[in-house]
Amino acid sequence: MITQLTLQHYLGVGAILFVLGLIGFMTRRNLIVMFLCTELMFQGIAINLIAFGAYHGNLAGQAFTVFVLVIAAAEASLALGLVVLLFRQRNTLDADAWRELRG
Amino acid sequence: MVGFLNAPILSIKPSLPLAAAAMPLTILLLCVIAGIGTVLVLPSRREKSLRKIGGLIALLAGLVGAALLVRYLAGAAPEHPGVGAYFWTFAALAIFGAFRVVTHPQPVYSALYFMLAVMSSAGLFVLLQAEFMAAALVIIYAGAILVTYVFVIMLAAQTLPGGQPLAGLADHDAVSREPILASAVGFTLMGILLMLIFDQSRAVPVAVATAAITPILPGEGSTQSLGRYLFNHQLLNLELSGLILTMAMVGAIVIARRRVVGSGLVVEGEAPVLIAPRTPIDDNPHSLTVDGVDNPRQKAYPQA
Repeated sequence: MITQLTLQHYLGVGAILFVLGLIGFMTRRNLIVMFLCTELMFQGIAINLIAFGAYHGNLAGQAFTVFVLVIAAAEASLALGLVVLLFRQRNTLDADAWRELRG
Repeated sequence: MVGFLNAPILSIKPSLPLAAAAMPLTILLLCVIAGIGTVLVLPSRREKSLRKIGGLIALLAGLVGAALLVRYLAGAAPEHPGVGAYFWTFAALAIFGAFRVVTHPQPVYSALYFMLAVMSSAGLFVLLQAEFMAAALVIIYAGAILVTYVFVIMLAAQTLPGGQPLAGLADHDAVSREPILASAVGFTLMGILLMLIFDQSRAVPVAVATAAITPILPGEGSTQSLGRYLFNHQLLNLELSGLILTMAMVGAIVIARRRVVGSGLVVEGEAPVLIAPRTPIDDNPHSLTVDGVDNPRQKAYPQA
C-alpha cells in the first residue's frame, strides 16, 4: 500500500457509492430497499462533501454534511411513514402495485 | 494524522506515460465488466451459480481497478503508510456493503449490509479528520434510521391472502426490474465520473489542496471548531434544520396514523363511516373493534 492518499481517492469512493445507490433505486422493486438505496446515495454525497472540506481546509464541508444528515433523517421518517401507509392499502411492498400512478 | 493532508497531493506523476494515456479506456472497460457482473448478480430467478459467477466478475473488476489505482497513483514515499491501509480497507468494505445492499434479495440483509457501508463511511470520515461527523453518522444512520428501517421491514412481513406467512421470497424481491438497462446507465455514469475524477490534467490546483484544517483557536479539536463554525456562521440554518425535523416528525405522525371514527364524531342519523380500510395490522390496543362499533375506550381522532 505505497500510495499517497489524494482527494481523488475519496471522490472515487463517493462516486461508486452514489452510482450503486442509483442502480439499486432503479432495479429493486421493494419500496423499503428503494429508500435504502437513496440513503446510499446520501452516503456517497457525504463522503464527497467531507473530502472537499478537508482538502480545502475549512469546515464548510462538514457543516453541509450536518444538514445533509438532517434532511436524510427527515426523509427517512416521512418515507417510512408513506411506506407503512402504502403497505396497509395493498398488503404488499411491491412498487409495481402502484403502477396506475404513472402519468 | 494531520500530516497527510499537508502533503502536496497532486505532485504525483503516473509511473508510465503509456499507462496514463490508456487510463480512461481502462476505467471504462473495467466499468463495463463490473456492469456485466452486476447484471448477473442482481436478484432474478436464474440459477445460483450464475449469480455467483457475476459476483466473481464484479469482484475481479474491483480488484483490478484498485490495483491499477495503487500503481497509477503511486508517488512519493508516504508520510503515514498506515493511513493508506486504513483507507483501502474502509473503501473496500464500503463498496462491498453498498454492492450487497443493491444485490441481496432479502431486505433485512440489505439493511444489515447498509449498516456495514455506513460504518465504513464513518471510518473514512475519521481519516478525513471529521470525527464528529463520523460519530453522528454512526448514531443517526446505524442507530436511528437503520432501526426504523428494520422495524418497518418486520412490520410489513408479507402474508398470503389466507394469512399464512409467505414461504420463500416474494416476487418483487426475487426479480429485479430492468437490470440490464439500469446497469448500463449506472455504470456509464460511473465510468464518466471516475474518468473525470482521475483525469490529472483537469485536477484542482495544488495550492487549494495543500491547506489543512486549521483550528480557529489553538488547542481546539475539529469537533469544537465545527461547533464554533456552526453557531457562528450557520446559526439560522441550524435553527431551520430543527424546524425541518419537527415538521417531518409531525408529518410522519399525520401520514402513518390510523384514522378511525369515534362514536362522538358521527353525525346523527348517518351510518358510521369507516375511513381507513380494514387491515390485519393494528397497533392500537384500545381499538380492537374499529368499524362502526361504539367502543367507549376507543380513541377518537378528529376528521380533518
